[in-house]
Amino acid sequence: MTTDPPTATNTKVRQVEAIVHGTVIDHIPGHMTLKVANLLARENDQVSIGMNLRSARMGRKGLVKISGRELDERTLSRLALIAPGATVSIIRDYQVIHKSTVPMPKTFEDIARCANPNCVTNHEKWSSRLDVIGHEPLHVRCFYCERSFAASELTLV
Amino acid sequence: MTFSGRHVISIADFSRGDILTVINAARAIEMQSAPRTELVGGKLMATLFFEPSTRTRLSFEAAMQKLGGRVIGLSDAASTSTKKGESLADTIRMIEQYADVIVIRHPRDGAARLASEVSRVPIINGGDGGNQHPSQTFLDLYTIAKLYPALLDGSAPLTIAFAGDLRYGRTVHSLLTALCHFRVKLVLVAPRGLEMPAEYLQQAAAVGMDVSEAPNLQDAIAQADILYMTRLQEERFPDPLEFDHIKASYRITAHMLSDARQSLRVLHPLPRINEIAIDVDQTVHAHYFAQAGNGIPVRQALLGLVLGVLI
Ligand SMILES: [Zn+2]
Repeated sequence: MTTDPPTATNTKVRQVEAIVHGTVIDHIPGHMTLKVANLLARENDQVSIGMNLRSARMGRKGLVKISGRELDERTLSRLALIAPGATVSIIRDYQVIHKSTVPMPKTFEDIARCANPNCVTNHEKWSSRLDVIGHEPLHVRCFYCERSFAASELTLV
Repeated sequence: MTFSGRHVISIADFSRGDILTVINAARAIEMQSAPRTELVGGKLMATLFFEPSTRTRLSFEAAMQKLGGRVIGLSDAASTSTKKGESLADTIRMIEQYADVIVIRHPRDGAARLASEVSRVPIINGGDGGNQHPSQTFLDLYTIAKLYPALLDGSAPLTIAFAGDLRYGRTVHSLLTALCHFRVKLVLVAPRGLEMPAEYLQQAAAVGMDVSEAPNLQDAIAQADILYMTRLQEERFPDPLEFDHIKASYRITAHMLSDARQSLRVLHPLPRINEIAIDVDQTVHAHYFAQAGNGIPVRQALLGLVLGVLI
């Protein structure tokens, strides 16, 4: 069973070309759009990017579509760290079958490096663990060195 | 929470009840003038020091020996394991085979927490980089509680002044965290740029602690029951002239204490450099050497509690 591609008459005006199967990440803070695209693109999928799109909620936003794939838990965690509040829609046969805000874990394990250069996790072969301590803007505390950071200070592993 | 088998990593892991348990155990140990050599007979403490800290190591070793335990030391752990490329986790897995408790000192922040995730025997953090040194915090609290029993019952709030480098000084950060369990007034006096970080001020505000800033050391002395001094480190100042200037204004002398309350006591984690003039030692206010001495019963208490021989 296939569905005809939606047109401007049966859906909201599309700002980026529709995909058959895959995932749409919407409501990405404008300046994080390329970072999100890079995070996903290096995993070898076809990615399309919309930048500086109009959004009633956030002014200008970014949007990224990945064809042919749904995101695994680890990728969702990484997304939560760099684009908290983004929405994730799963598309099958042009239809949105599930849409939600990117789930925010309580803890990021082995997702990002601790930003403290003297942290033991940056010197031993040991996974980082960053616990969420605040939202909007997202803040985390390293379980090991006990320092707190804004999510924007972190680098993905 | 029971202490037996517990790790001692960060002061933030300890409730008010836990802190009182440690203080009471230290007091009980100190009251008994005869050494309790039977307490931990046969138990073995390993000191694993990846950076030198003679005073911390000796204090733990003295505490363990006074409890009747035995001590083995890897005082130069850095050269014996790390240079051979052994991971910290593997070093711990090796040492825990024969030690009943491990005291670790390490230059990296968070090293003791990592060790505690690997070890089946209790880990006591003897300092992890610029992060935590919980036995120091317990001995600071014990010292204050001995001087002013009102700290524990909250009958009259103490005024405690922190002076010096409040930004990088980990002893005052941990002490502030611990004091959040008690009713105290905090007075802060620090050079510009070295003030108490916002996250600690927020911790204090969250428990309704009365925190104020004093314009200078003399003003803090006039208000305080306890004056807790910290070292100023030259490397924190980009301009050496500025350092010389600040150093001079963060130094206490016997003369400056002449109008202080008789009961004011000056504490310092030691070693002091210039912050406390030698002539202060002769005054009734000097208490930093007694404070260091309290490290023995407090470390005895911690060892006895985690080894399950004290409750
Ligand atoms: Zn860290």
